[in-house]
Amino acid sequence: MKQTGVATKIIFLSCGIALLLMVVGCIIVVQYEIVLLNKMTDIKVDEKENYYLYRLYSEKKILTNQLTLQVNNLITLMKSVDVIYEQTFAFQIQSLLTHPMVVAAEFCDKTGQSFLVGWKSNTVQTAKKFPSTLQLKQYMVINKQTEIPSVEIIRLYYTIEKIEQQIQVLKNQEMNELHETRNNIYKQLNGLFLAQSIGSFLVVALLGATLIISLRWLILNPINYLMGIARQLKKLDLSVEITTTTASHELNSLAQALGQLLEGFRKIIADVKENANMLSGSADNMTDIAEQLSNHSEEAESKANIVAEASVQISANIHTIANSVEQISDNMEMVSSTSDFLFNNINSVANAIEELSSSLTHVGERAKNGTKIAEQAVVLAKKAGKTVNSLRHAADEIGGVSEFIQRIAHKTNILSLNATIEAASAGSAGRGFSVVASAIQEFAEQSSRAAKDITDRIASVQKGTFEIENVFKDVSSIIREMNESSESISFAVIEQTKAVQEIASNALEADERARNINVSIEDLSRTVNDAAENTAQVAMGANDVSTRIQGVSESLSFNRQISHQINETAIVLNHLSSNLKCMVDPFKVSHQLISNNNNKE
Amino acid sequence: MRKINNITSEKKKIPESKRQFCSFQMAGHYFGVDILDVKEIIDEVVLTKIHHAPPEMLGFVNIRGHVHLVLDLRLLLNFSTKSIDESSRVLLFHPNVGESFGVMVDQIGHMIEVEESLIEYRVTEENISGIARDFRKTELEKGVCKLEDKLLIILDASKFLNAVELKR
Repeated sequence: MKQTGVATKIIFLSCGIALLLMVVGCIIVVQYEIVLLNKMTDIKVDEKENYYLYRLYSEKKILTNQLTLQVNNLITLMKSVDVIYEQTFAFQIQSLLTHPMVVAAEFCDKTGQSFLVGWKSNTVQTAKKFPSTLQLKQYMVINKQTEIPSVEIIRLYYTIEKIEQQIQVLKNQEMNELHETRNNIYKQLNGLFLAQSIGSFLVVALLGATLIISLRWLILNPINYLMGIARQLKKLDLSVEITTTTASHELNSLAQALGQLLEGFRKIIADVKENANMLSGSADNMTDIAEQLSNHSEEAESKANIVAEASVQISANIHTIANSVEQISDNMEMVSSTSDFLFNNINSVANAIEELSSSLTHVGERAKNGTKIAEQAVVLAKKAGKTVNSLRHAADEIGGVSEFIQRIAHKTNILSLNATIEAASAGSAGRGFSVVASAIQEFAEQSSRAAKDITDRIASVQKGTFEIENVFKDVSSIIREMNESSESISFAVIEQTKAVQEIASNALEADERARNINVSIEDLSRTVNDAAENTAQVAMGANDVSTRIQGVSESLSFNRQISHQINETAIVLNHLSSNLKCMVDPFKVSHQLISNNNNKE
Repeated sequence: MRKINNITSEKKKIPESKRQFCSFQMAGHYFGVDILDVKEIIDEVVLTKIHHAPPEMLGFVNIRGHVHLVLDLRLLLNFSTKSIDESSRVLLFHPNVGESFGVMVDQIGHMIEVEESLIEYRVTEENISGIARDFRKTELEKGVCKLEDKLLIILDASKFLNAVELKR
């Protein structure tokens, strides 16, 4: 796989560069870190040294102060005592020498000569003077003036060597620790560098692998597929089917586009092939047709001759037509007689219209009668209304009467009640009368009920009369409307009679027009005679036509020559079409076609 | 004790043990008074008003030359007053019930004849305390008569004048 090789080379190259870059980056970072570390440790060492210097100094100061204080104490002690013995001095020197840092002590008298000294060799020793072996100049000294007569000056020699030594030891220890830490960090950094380089190598390897796989999967396979198609296309084989259907990425869409292109191209080529075949067939046909055309043109020539003869016959026929035109002029006379008949008819129409106008005047009179009748109806309706009104008044009176009856019934009722009371008060003697009284009460009630009934009926009668009155009012208004409409009818009839008279005058005019028509028809017959003369001229023209037709036969012979030329051209076309077929044939459109072609070959 | 005596006397008068009542309506209720207490029923009333009199006294009425006092029974029975209309009537009572007086009623009814057994009398017991006996409405009504479709409240006409005085 050459393509794969190229892709792999590219990937390996890029991966190698990436790896190199990463390693270089790693080295730079580690180196930078080392430099940083060194700087940091140097700063730390400086700080430590300063610290120890300061500490030494402070220790020295403290010690000096301490010792000064001790001497002062001693002096005050001595001041407080009146008598000082020598033994006391010795004891005090010894006590001074108990301090670990004090090396020697010296008590001097007024002359500045020491009278008692003490020093540390292995044990504490006392004498009047320091031995010469003792080197006191190397030690630090505290000189103190006392105001005691026996002792003038106290000198104290002390050393700070031990403190210095201690501090030196501490300093060395810390320095060693610092260096060790730095070395450890160096080792760790080396390990880090190793790990980083391995990790980056792994990452690059993984990246490279994924790239190779994805390249193979996504790009090389479609490219191979396309290459195969291209190889087939190289052989002019168009029958390749491109199966990719989804345009998932660029190559697939490319393949799809190629497939569509191929399909279109295939169709075109197939069409061209077919058309070439058809063209060659048509060219063959054309040569045949051209031959036939020349034959036919010969025939046409002969027929044109025949036509020329026929044209002579036509001129004869035109003569007969002229005769017929004369006959037409005769017929025109007949038409003029018919127009006379029409003229008579129009006359009768005018008469009928006059009759119509007379009948319309009759209608107008009738309408006037109608208005009179309507007026009478209005008067009658008013009378009926009055009658109904009087009826209503009578009903009202009846109502009054019935009320009166009711009042009487109430009175009777009261009377009967009183009678009953009287009968009751009469006791057993009035029992018969009480029966009579109750009967009277019953009658009173009945009569009151009857009166109520009558009042109800009368109320309904009044309601009815009221409605009748309303209806009469409506009726009279309707009659009035009728009256108005009949008047308008009579007006309309008068106008119509006027219109009909106008129509009659128009009919007379029409009569005159018909007469005019008659005259024009006579003119027409004259024109027809002219036409007959013109037809004779047409016959002359027909002779001309026969001579022209001879000219046509000549041109037909020219036509035949042209058809020969067409025949030759068709042959050339046939050659061209066969050439085209040869050119198109190498394209394989489909498997079937290929097999067919093979079979043909 | 007097009431019981009255009843016994009435029983004597009507040996068939039947009694008659003059019935009337007032504010939708049926009332009745003994027919023997009633003198007359009057329909056309011209009242002459008595000023400074209690509202229960409607006025005087002149009947055939005799002047009668007219009381408003509605007010006596603690109903609201009502103006006089077509159906208003005046019941005049006998002089033995009270001194020439009558009452105004809304509407007069029939004369009713009932068996004595259908009447239930209210009996005021003697041992009831004074406050209970002063209760006026129980004084005015004498009893109840059970009719076929309703109850008739029987009033004692002789108490009406006293009731006006009591109310004052």
